[in-house]
Amino acid sequence: MEAAAEEEKRRREVEIQVIEKVGEVIREIERAKHAEQVICALHSLAVLLFPIDSSLLSGSIGERYKEQIVSVKVHAANERDDWWRAFYQGAAFPTLARVLLLDVASNWLTCFPLSAKKHIYDVFFVNGLSSEVVQVLVPFLQQSSSNNLDVNAIQSNVERLLVLCLLDNDGVLKMAIDLAVFPKLEDITNDRLKSAVSGVAQIVTSIPDKARLRAPPLLSSHFFFKQITIQLLTGMVERLAITNNIDVNLSFLGEIFSRIARRGSSDVLLSEVTPQILRHVRSCLSSDTDVVETDVFESNPESQLWLKIMEAITDPYTVERIAEQLLRQLATEHASDIEAYLVLWILFHHLLKFQSSVRSMFVEKFLLWKVFPVCCLRWILQFAVLEYSPINDLQTKGHETTNGLLHTVERLAAVWSKRDFVQSAPLEQQAYITAALGLCLEKMSKEELDKTKDVLHSILQGVSCRLESPADLVRKMASAIALVFSKVLDPKNPLYLDDSCNGESIDWEFGLTTSEKGSLSISNAENKIDETGTSQTAGSGKGSDVKSKSKKSSVFSLVDPDEIIDPATLNYEPVSDENDDDDDASQNSDSSDSSLQPYDLTDDDADLKRKFSQLVDVAGALRKSDDADGVERALDVAESLIRASPDELTHLSGDLARTLVQVRCSDVSVEGEEESAEEKRQRALIALVVMRPFESLDTLNKLLYSPNVDVSQRIMILDVMTLAAEELANAKTMKRKHQTGPLISTISEPQPWFLPSNTGPLGAGSWKQVSDTGTLLNWSNRYERELPLKGGHVKRGKTRRWSLRSGNLHENQIEWSQNKFPLYAAAFMLPAMQGFDKKRHGVDLLGRDFLVLGKLIYMLGVCMKCASMHPEASALAPLLLDMLRSREVSQHKEAYVRRAVLFSASCVLVALHPSSIASSLVEGNIEISEGLEWIRTWALHVADSDTDRECYTMAVSCLQLHSEVALLASRALESAETDSYTVNAHQCIDMEQRQKARRR
Amino acid sequence: MVSKSKRPPPDPVAVLRGHRASVSDACFHPTRPILFTGSSDGELRIWDTIQHRTVSSSWAHSAAHGIIAVACSSLLGTYKVISQGRDGTVKCWDIEEGGLSRTPSLQITTNSYHFCKLSLPKKPIANTKQGNETVGIGLPCDSRGKTANDQEKCSNTSEDPFQGGLTEETSVEGLKYVAMAGEQSSEVELWDLTTGERTVRLPQYGSADSSSFSIKQRGMCMAVESFLPPRSEGFLNVLAGYEDGSILWWDIRQPGIPVTSLKFHSEPVLSLCIDGSCNGGISGAADDKIIFYNLDYPTGSCVVKKEIILERPGISSTSIRPDCKVAATAGWDHRVRIYNYRKGSPLAILKYHHATCNSVSYSTNCKLMASASEDTTVALWELYPP
Repeated sequence: MEAAAEEEKRRREVEIQVIEKVGEVIREIERAKHAEQVICALHSLAVLLFPIDSSLLSGSIGERYKEQIVSVKVHAANERDDWWRAFYQGAAFPTLARVLLLDVASNWLTCFPLSAKKHIYDVFFVNGLSSEVVQVLVPFLQQSSSNNLDVNAIQSNVERLLVLCLLDNDGVLKMAIDLAVFPKLEDITNDRLKSAVSGVAQIVTSIPDKARLRAPPLLSSHFFFKQITIQLLTGMVERLAITNNIDVNLSFLGEIFSRIARRGSSDVLLSEVTPQILRHVRSCLSSDTDVVETDVFESNPESQLWLKIMEAITDPYTVERIAEQLLRQLATEHASDIEAYLVLWILFHHLLKFQSSVRSMFVEKFLLWKVFPVCCLRWILQFAVLEYSPINDLQTKGHETTNGLLHTVERLAAVWSKRDFVQSAPLEQQAYITAALGLCLEKMSKEELDKTKDVLHSILQGVSCRLESPADLVRKMASAIALVFSKVLDPKNPLYLDDSCNGESIDWEFGLTTSEKGSLSISNAENKIDETGTSQTAGSGKGSDVKSKSKKSSVFSLVDPDEIIDPATLNYEPVSDENDDDDDASQNSDSSDSSLQPYDLTDDDADLKRKFSQLVDVAGALRKSDDADGVERALDVAESLIRASPDELTHLSGDLARTLVQVRCSDVSVEGEEESAEEKRQRALIALVVMRPFESLDTLNKLLYSPNVDVSQRIMILDVMTLAAEELANAKTMKRKHQTGPLISTISEPQPWFLPSNTGPLGAGSWKQVSDTGTLLNWSNRYERELPLKGGHVKRGKTRRWSLRSGNLHENQIEWSQNKFPLYAAAFMLPAMQGFDKKRHGVDLLGRDFLVLGKLIYMLGVCMKCASMHPEASALAPLLLDMLRSREVSQHKEAYVRRAVLFSASCVLVALHPSSIASSLVEGNIEISEGLEWIRTWALHVADSDTDRECYTMAVSCLQLHSEVALLASRALESAETDSYTVNAHQCIDMEQRQKARRR
Repeated sequence: MVSKSKRPPPDPVAVLRGHRASVSDACFHPTRPILFTGSSDGELRIWDTIQHRTVSSSWAHSAAHGIIAVACSSLLGTYKVISQGRDGTVKCWDIEEGGLSRTPSLQITTNSYHFCKLSLPKKPIANTKQGNETVGIGLPCDSRGKTANDQEKCSNTSEDPFQGGLTEETSVEGLKYVAMAGEQSSEVELWDLTTGERTVRLPQYGSADSSSFSIKQRGMCMAVESFLPPRSEGFLNVLAGYEDGSILWWDIRQPGIPVTSLKFHSEPVLSLCIDGSCNGGISGAADDKIIFYNLDYPTGSCVVKKEIILERPGISSTSIRPDCKVAATAGWDHRVRIYNYRKGSPLAILKYHHATCNSVSYSTNCKLMASASEDTTVALWELYPP
């Protein structure tokens, strides 16, 4: 106690001395008229605190002051230490620093020689107690303009000093070490230490935020945090290597890390941490290759260090950020499963064991809410769910499955099976959870599966609700899970719902490269569909090739004598010799045998099929579903017959439409050729609708809501209507070009009158007299000339064909397109719109058959587009908008339907003529304007809050369209205004306001 | 064989239109440019093959039954033509100036109702070239001795008219017999055209050596070809194809048992044709094979020379050109196919008809070929001029 009191007293004394000295120096600085006076003053203090070689300064200052500097008294080493401590721990340093940073920096520092600046100015900060220095320096970063000081100079000086202290001189590491030694120096309580540590860490990490915009790039958050992290990590590891124990304040480290993470730079942090720890793990792995147990790491001091760092990070948010970033970084570093497992184990195994929050982070958050690359998912499952290393997995197959796996599977399956999840979750998330579930299932056995509750049920439910989804990817997920599941139940009898996934391993990424591109590649999926399609056709093609080949070979192969089993075969001898002799003989005997050259022996059976030439026959054949061949041939000719548009088509079209819809193409056609039959049927139906819209649409609309057709037929009907509408809209009409012949024939033709006239097709030769050798007396002259082949005439076949129009008529015609659709628009749209919300037996568009609803809305949109700029469009638009506006449609749970609604809404925008919008406003017809306003608000809503990516991008483009239309309409309105003064002023203003709002 | 660039197969030189129903058979006159065709509505038309015009038309058989076959041969006489109807009759017509005689010169009621075309005997060309008279005289002399021997064996009295008939046939016109499937459809019958009586039935029941032989399981006789093999000493031989695909070679001296039994086909044999030298032939059937074979009379053996597998089955008629160079087949697949008869190699696929081809036939001078089809047309072709 005595000694302590003595010590305390002595310290007080030193403190007083220091303060006095500082006061003296400050006064001198204030009095100074010359930079060298300031230098002297500072030097007198500096030498008392730091070991400075005064001679270094002497070169740069005047003679008068040199003496003064050299003559300054110098402390002994231990006294200097006391002074140093008293200076920095007391009030002296902040006081002096204020003067240094404000007055000296703004007034004198520019005059300082370089050496002086370094040795007697910077030294106060660089060699000081870094935690104190930082606390003093940082507030000056945001020095606002005060008095008459040069703010700019002050701030740039502070920035320079910070870089110098913290980055160039490892100030942060020093702090960490100081803070570890701190409690030994001063007996402060744990709480105070803690608050001091967090305070310092707070200040350090706030530097990038406080720095000005023009601050050096070293102080930008990315670079600064990176430097700090490197400093701390390498410093620690180096020190660990030297001293073999940890002499750093880890809580400071933890604080720094968590604050970096909090400030949103966890990626910077982990980009340094990950390589470090990965290097550590790899070096351990390479050192003892034979058996790598986690025990090895248990005893390794560096591993211990990492473990303690993680324990020091108390902030759960930081832990989560670190874990997440770590996983992503490991994935980009292409860490192997074992490495990744060990890294996770070193950092988190302790936390996982003792902190339930960390466990739930891994098992709940990372599996159910986040989306990681699939390799990360594997690691998460291995580490947090299975909890044994992948090495053990290889060595001992029959691992005891933890309860964790079963619980996880239950949870995953429960989430996965929900219909809401399928409808609303983004595809990436769905793929991720599907992968998680699949990977878990792969690890399970049938017995374990039996132990779980409800998993079986929910998997079946999930698969079934996915299989009816319009997205191919979602169906693929279902089939992948079904495959894995079936493998668990019976490994020998896997269930393939889809042809595409027949490999042993399943692609759990489903072609989505979520983490790297971050964008959903639907086109990719579509490509895949195409590929599978082509591969199928290619396969079938190959099949037919093989067939034809085998046929050929059978034609040309010599007959095997053993084939015939009959007494007659006894007579069957190889007769080739005889044959040859025969040939020789024949060639000798009659030389004309060489004339027996074969003709072209190619043969096809195109002509063998019975052709239908009457629509009645076609309809009849289509109805005979047992005669597959007949149905197929009828389908072949149906389109062309319908396009020929015979008179009876009017009476037949309804019947024919019904028959065509009800033909079962899959029963009819050969394996692999269903699609062509399907296509023919569809083309025939399109032709029918185009040729006789009213009659056939009547039937088709009835069929659309009839309980006797299935979903695929309904979709086909809608497809047909869509395509037919487009065809009608782009209909081309032939018009005969008016031929202008000479009205007055000139007499002075250069040929004799008795020759036939020269008119005729171009390229005809001149007339020549045909010489008759019959009688001498020949009264009639005959002439002939060569005519060129007619334009469209192809010389083929053995039968002449006559038709009303000859081939070369094309030349005399001009094509012009005319939109024929508006005439039929109402027939297309109104009946189809009538019954969509009625639920009947087998028809439930709003619920189960949402695909049909989506197609229907799409069809209506296309119809709208086809009628665009015609008066029919503005007549039909309010009705369509009414339908779209109904809550069950516009807020439909399925993204597919919402997309269709957005499409149709956009079509309405495109279809309406601006002048018709304007006139409806003028006339006070609010239906259209209300509808358009609804489109805007609804699209805004979708763009803000929809989960489906495609939906909100479509909504944004819909908004764009809307603003364009509004602009055009307001222009039309303005021009109308100038013409007439009967404008509904209120609506006009309303329109313009809306438009302005949009421009903003 | 160097094949030239692939020529497209030729078109018919003429198409004879006029029949109102499926043309079931066509047959050239042995010496004059005349073609006989018969259709399934019973019409028999005579065509001028130079002018490509109908010379005459007559209802030879009732429309309900129609004509199965028309035939004429130098052995029959230059002014005679035979038509076979599905009404169970065979009629022999005289050709007059304006066409056919009003009534047939001979009408045989065979009571056979089937699909088998009748066959007039074929003689080796070499023999006919040498002159009918020498051969015609020589033949019966030898045969008389043979038949005497046969007669001792066979106690059947129905043999006598035939033997007698044969001995009487010393005239230039030669063998006036016709072979066809009989009243019992599995039997082959030979009818004498001069008397209009049935002479032989094959197989001949009741003869000593036929007791063990039964024909029933072979089904109906579907095709018949009668011919005089060289060195057969004037005794008719008959090839008959049956429903089960087998072919029997009969010698009328042994009516109880066939010389050889063959089975090349798996489906009913529809057509048999013997070449001009009577040393070989072709057979077509309802299956997808065409068989070229050699016949060796002394050993009674038949050897397959070439078997052709078709893409589409069904050969309703075959014909070998008298010079034995090319052969033609009429297919159910609407095509006429031409083969090199010696090698059995395909030469052409002729696509003109758009319905089943019923018959092909070559003219005696080898220049023309006629194909008759269900599409009511007859096409004339000129291929590989001799």
